[in-house]
Amino acid sequence: MAKIRVLIAKPGLDGHDRGALVIAQGLRDHGMEVVYTGLRQSPAQIAKAAIQEDVDVVGLSSLSGAHRTLFPKVVEELKSLNAGDIPVIGGGVIPSEDISFLEEQGVKKIFTSGSSIEELANYIVTLVGPMEGEVTKKISHIGIAVKSIEQSLPFYTKILGLELEGIEEIDSESVKVAFLKIGDSRFELLEATTDNSPIHKFIVKRGEGIHHIALDVEDIEARMRSLSKNGIEFINPEPKTGAHRSQIAFMHPKSTQGVLFELCEEAGGE
Amino acid sequence: MKIDQKDIEKKWKESVDNNIKRFPERKSSFQTSSEIDVERLYYPENDNDYYEKLGFPGEYPYTRGIQPTMYRSKYWTMRQYAGFGSAIETNKRFRYLLEQGQTGLSVAFDLPTQIGYDSDDMMAEGEVGRVGVAIDTLHDMEALLDKIPLDKVSTSMTINAPASVLLAMYIAVGEKQGVEKGKLTGTIQNDILKEYIARGTYIFPPKPSMRLITNIFEYCGEHVPKFNTISISGYHIREAGSTAVQEAAFTIANGMAYVDAAIEAGLDVDAFAPRLAFFFNAHNNFFEEIAKFRAARRVWAKIMKEHYQAKNPKSWKLRFHTQTGGSTLTAQQPDNNIVRVTMQALAAVLGGTQSLHTNSRDEALALPTEESARIALRTQQIIANESGVADTVDPLGGSYFVEALTDKIEEEMEAYLDQINELGGSVTAIEEGFMQREIHRTAYETQLRIEKEEEIIVGLNKYKIDEEVNPELLKVDEALERQQKASLQEIRHDRDNEMVVSTLKQLGWAAKKPEENLMPYILNAVKAYASVGEICNVLRKEFGEYGI
Repeated sequence: MAKIRVLIAKPGLDGHDRGALVIAQGLRDHGMEVVYTGLRQSPAQIAKAAIQEDVDVVGLSSLSGAHRTLFPKVVEELKSLNAGDIPVIGGGVIPSEDISFLEEQGVKKIFTSGSSIEELANYIVTLVGPMEGEVTKKISHIGIAVKSIEQSLPFYTKILGLELEGIEEIDSESVKVAFLKIGDSRFELLEATTDNSPIHKFIVKRGEGIHHIALDVEDIEARMRSLSKNGIEFINPEPKTGAHRSQIAFMHPKSTQGVLFELCEEAGGE
Repeated sequence: MKIDQKDIEKKWKESVDNNIKRFPERKSSFQTSSEIDVERLYYPENDNDYYEKLGFPGEYPYTRGIQPTMYRSKYWTMRQYAGFGSAIETNKRFRYLLEQGQTGLSVAFDLPTQIGYDSDDMMAEGEVGRVGVAIDTLHDMEALLDKIPLDKVSTSMTINAPASVLLAMYIAVGEKQGVEKGKLTGTIQNDILKEYIARGTYIFPPKPSMRLITNIFEYCGEHVPKFNTISISGYHIREAGSTAVQEAAFTIANGMAYVDAAIEAGLDVDAFAPRLAFFFNAHNNFFEEIAKFRAARRVWAKIMKEHYQAKNPKSWKLRFHTQTGGSTLTAQQPDNNIVRVTMQALAAVLGGTQSLHTNSRDEALALPTEESARIALRTQQIIANESGVADTVDPLGGSYFVEALTDKIEEEMEAYLDQINELGGSVTAIEEGFMQREIHRTAYETQLRIEKEEEIIVGLNKYKIDEEVNPELLKVDEALERQQKASLQEIRHDRDNEMVVSTLKQLGWAAKKPEENLMPYILNAVKAYASVGEICNVLRKEFGEYGI
């Protein structure tokens, strides 16, 4: 696996680089390759360096109060150089009320005073890790095609003793779905609502049984890009809305040795 | 060596008598709450070691303080650093602080001013008025000091690379108020070496920077004799992550580099050394901090007397300002910071500081609000007026622990000084990154110890609570940058631009001649309302820029 590459940058005139230097070394000790820009960098210089150094993430540090102006500028400059997919994170003396503002401006996350190197390193791994083929942490759910939810449910609830979380109809897919919680994951029972439903076609062709396995991801678009880079094809090239307002995308089974995998990014605020 | 103890004691008593004539003690007698008399000084008899290593306050080697009666006569100067936004707003905060009993001003400048950029420079974007007040021309300085009598108030200015420009502006405002240069009191930080090491607001390379500094020493020696021409600062070295020993050692090493530069420029050591001042940090390790201040005084006194052969005792005295440690404050449970600041301030007082800034509880979050700044000032006032620690000189002197720590810190400082000397002195050591590496190593080790919970920070890695940190914070108005730019435009339009061009031209000419003192040229340019950026650009052209 290639090492994660990080650019640590000091935008503006602020000379406090203790945090930037400590973090640079800390991330190196976590196995990342870190480039530090030095002091007094303009947003344009930082964006250029990020591209030249081919980094996976840009970390900005400012303690002078100029973050409201300078952090969004770095995001903008990256976009203008067609590198908007490089995530930008930040840290320093940043009042909590500015954090949501910066996140709205496209900064992925702000680490304030008192954050540990450990937290930061873990965050970067989950943020950019997938691009490097990093581990997928859990199964979101296993989809099981059934002729009738009503008939199949008692097996799951009464015999296996699972808890039914709810039943939902998804018009776009022409399916009705029942969710059964098992540990941190779920079974998803899928029943066709029309004859055009892919579930109907599946059952006609193969009979009832396991339909797909869904993998939980944090940033579905980034993950799709990185999988595409690795030659994985998708049935739907753009994410679409699935159950519980989640964003989903199916990998083509011919790219995955016959298994239908789904990527699933749960909706925020749950 | 046999020391005549009676003679030393007699000398001290005489200097106490002289001192009291000028600065009477605060009370005719001092007592505890149980009416036990508190003596001016406690010291042993027949202890040769004591007389050699500690001696008396106000006497060489000043381990116990630089004045014979210390705070029995006068408390330290309570000097809160302030400055944000526009000159007019900052002026209001200053007048408020003076009304609240603060005894000296301390000006924080914004980063463009500190790095010699005008507010409308591209490099200044987003930084105008953020960490301090924006000063472009004399016009802003006049607003900053409006209705503040410069013959009565002493002003400390945290300005380094363009220190001569801001000092010139201060002198010019004084003249407009009718205050002669000779009566101005205050301090400019003017310590470029620690900027390269730790703080980052450098402009020019070391050599021309050292020239600007020695030009100031020389000019002030003749014309502004009551001004402290430099404040050799360990504060930022410590904030960058150094240990107490590194802070003290690197500061003294830098001090020696300035003395060397001035002597090389042809100045007599006793002509400038009495106006050198120092600036230290006060961190959490209570006794170590106290010992650090005491050791630094002793080390400096020995260097000035023995190594540089200074004759004037004023040249031997390490006078210092202290600020409590900003990096020790937590964003979590910010009210706890009041307690940290109290202990740090107490350490500074027990270490014999001449002036003190106490940080506000909310500084890990943003610039302090008026309420937080007031609590910080009150902290000092409580220590001074209620604790009784100011009633006897050096109350911890003679403590086995404190004296052992003082000796040990002195020893370790001297080891560093030898090492730096072998590298060729501070300037070379900095250019080679020696101090920067040492500090970074310590900073990183500290961070790891905190993360492994080997070092406990209350509220951060232990005794945590779920909290919404949303105190009232000071906001700098975003419109300020626009207004400051507009005001600068107006000045550029209204001033006599021929005068500006001609004074800047003369400055450029003088910069080429190493034997010229640049201060008078800068003063002329400032009086013509040339801006900080315009003046620094002339010098950038002649001197080049550091790191670029």
